[in-house]
Amino acid sequence: MAGIIPASQQPGILKTLLLCLPMIFITQMMLSAGKPLPTEPAGIVSFAVTFIFVNSIFFLMIRTGKTDRWRSILFVTYSVCFVLSFITNLFEVRGSMAISQANMIEGLTPFCHMVIPVTLIPAALTRTIIFPGTIIGTWASIATMFVLWIGSSLALGRGFCSWFCFFGGMDEGFSRLFKKARIKKVNPRWTYLPYAVLLLIVLASAVTLAPFYCEWLCPFKTVTEFAEITSLKIFIQTIIFVSLFIALVMVLPALTRRRTQCSLFCPFGAFQSLTNKINVFEIRVEPDKCIQCKKCIATCPSFSINEETIAKGKTAMTCMKCGKCVDACKQQAIFYHIKGAPLAHGKPEIYRRLFIYPAFLFLATMSGGYVQDAILKIIKLIATGSIF
Amino acid sequence: MKLDGFILGLSNGVACIATCAPVLIPYLLGEGKGIVRNYWVTGQFLFGRLFGYLLFAVLAWTVSSAILQETGLRNPIIGIAYILFSGLLIFYGFFNKTNVSCKAACNSNKYKRLLALWPALLPVAAGFATGLSFCPPFLLAFTGAAEQTSLLAAMLFFFSFFLGTSLLFVLAPFVGMFKRFQVLQIVGKMAAGLMGLYYLYSGVILIIGGLKII
Repeated sequence: MAGIIPASQQPGILKTLLLCLPMIFITQMMLSAGKPLPTEPAGIVSFAVTFIFVNSIFFLMIRTGKTDRWRSILFVTYSVCFVLSFITNLFEVRGSMAISQANMIEGLTPFCHMVIPVTLIPAALTRTIIFPGTIIGTWASIATMFVLWIGSSLALGRGFCSWFCFFGGMDEGFSRLFKKARIKKVNPRWTYLPYAVLLLIVLASAVTLAPFYCEWLCPFKTVTEFAEITSLKIFIQTIIFVSLFIALVMVLPALTRRRTQCSLFCPFGAFQSLTNKINVFEIRVEPDKCIQCKKCIATCPSFSINEETIAKGKTAMTCMKCGKCVDACKQQAIFYHIKGAPLAHGKPEIYRRLFIYPAFLFLATMSGGYVQDAILKIIKLIATGSIF
Repeated sequence: MKLDGFILGLSNGVACIATCAPVLIPYLLGEGKGIVRNYWVTGQFLFGRLFGYLLFAVLAWTVSSAILQETGLRNPIIGIAYILFSGLLIFYGFFNKTNVSCKAACNSNKYKRLLALWPALLPVAAGFATGLSFCPPFLLAFTGAAEQTSLLAAMLFFFSFFLGTSLLFVLAPFVGMFKRFQVLQIVGKMAAGLMGLYYLYSGVILIIGGLKII
């Protein structure tokens, strides 16, 4: 089996290249940020490697008909490069990963999408953004992230979590460490925990007028930036978020082969699930074709498919549209679909392509800069012994 | 009626509901009852708050506020109240009926029996514990009560303060509109359990260090 498309129906190399042309042009423009191509050797190498890497991934997606197999490679690379690039930038600018109170007062904390749900109620009630960042003008400003979030939510729904989020690739990477899951059964009740965390942080942030999630719970502070430890309270907060990172991003994904942080804890993911309701793309199941092998249930990283949803012919609201179940189904009973389009006589491969163009564009655009930067720093490190 | 206490309460009602909402709303969602029943539960919650307020009215009158501000006993006492309350919330959120871990639930039969015997225990305790938050309006009320000439006047002052702050709770029971969504009950209970963890932390910190939180 050479993918979900039978070998006879796979597009030829020329057709695949033609289908990739729009992405080649767009990624060239996005990776160069509209500027002339770099002229120094390290810049040329990092640009060329990123450009070839990203477009090879897209080529393989089109050619083989597999989505998740190739997406996951870029998605995990994206996360690793994001961490490399982010941390080295912090050291370059601040000399440390810790952010001081003075930096926070100056509004120098980069805004990330995880904070969006907790800022909405205080913003509506008090017309203030409860985050020590800048509204506009910087690469990680609040306005920039809101615009990106709205655009990607409209285009992808919760696909955001598999095609956009720069943290998601971390637990995805750990979930692929072992071939077999050590923990096979997880009580489905725990899939409601992200909603409870969401309720808690939204209420607590409205009460304290502070980003409660960032202060107390965000596991990814471990690999990005965190408050300088100046009190017992911050010390306890540090213990909490580091423990959560180790447990939810490293250990549990490796043991369960699922994205446990994203599906059992992340309040932003829970919030993002609601956007699946307004997004036109969905994953559908044709129960008539299904042979009940349950491979999709076993492989879904977000616990979004079970017998009940299969009987209904769709995935749960929490589906991240990663395509893992689509790749796993040898009966082609699971496929990308556009809401309202016919099921029985539809053309799943066309629907899939219509989804992966915008989805991949987001992934390539978001990942490209970080991958380039990380490669550039590695080259500098090898050549000069320093990343700065 | 102590009008000054009432107005003080009314003007600070938003701050009070903001403190209580993270506990009350998840609990109401977790119970999954209708609006009428939620009014009854909110009443129990408010009764707990009133009890806490009146207790402080007595303290304010018998001990001068200055002495109580200075004493090292205030934070540990509230810390212990928080820890007891957090135990109830955590049990309610993660082990009561919707037990995630049977073993843990089976070991907690005493709590189960306690909650079954007196279902009002949790809302009353929640009201009591959240009523003990030393927010600025509460301290103002405490000072106001301390200035009263008699115990009855001090209690009336706190009672009118309580009435003023309680008016905004009228809307809380309307979360009962979502009672058909059973998932929200699970989510509400879990959120209450998580809030319990936060109160546990708050209690421990108050006991060991008197750090100001929430």
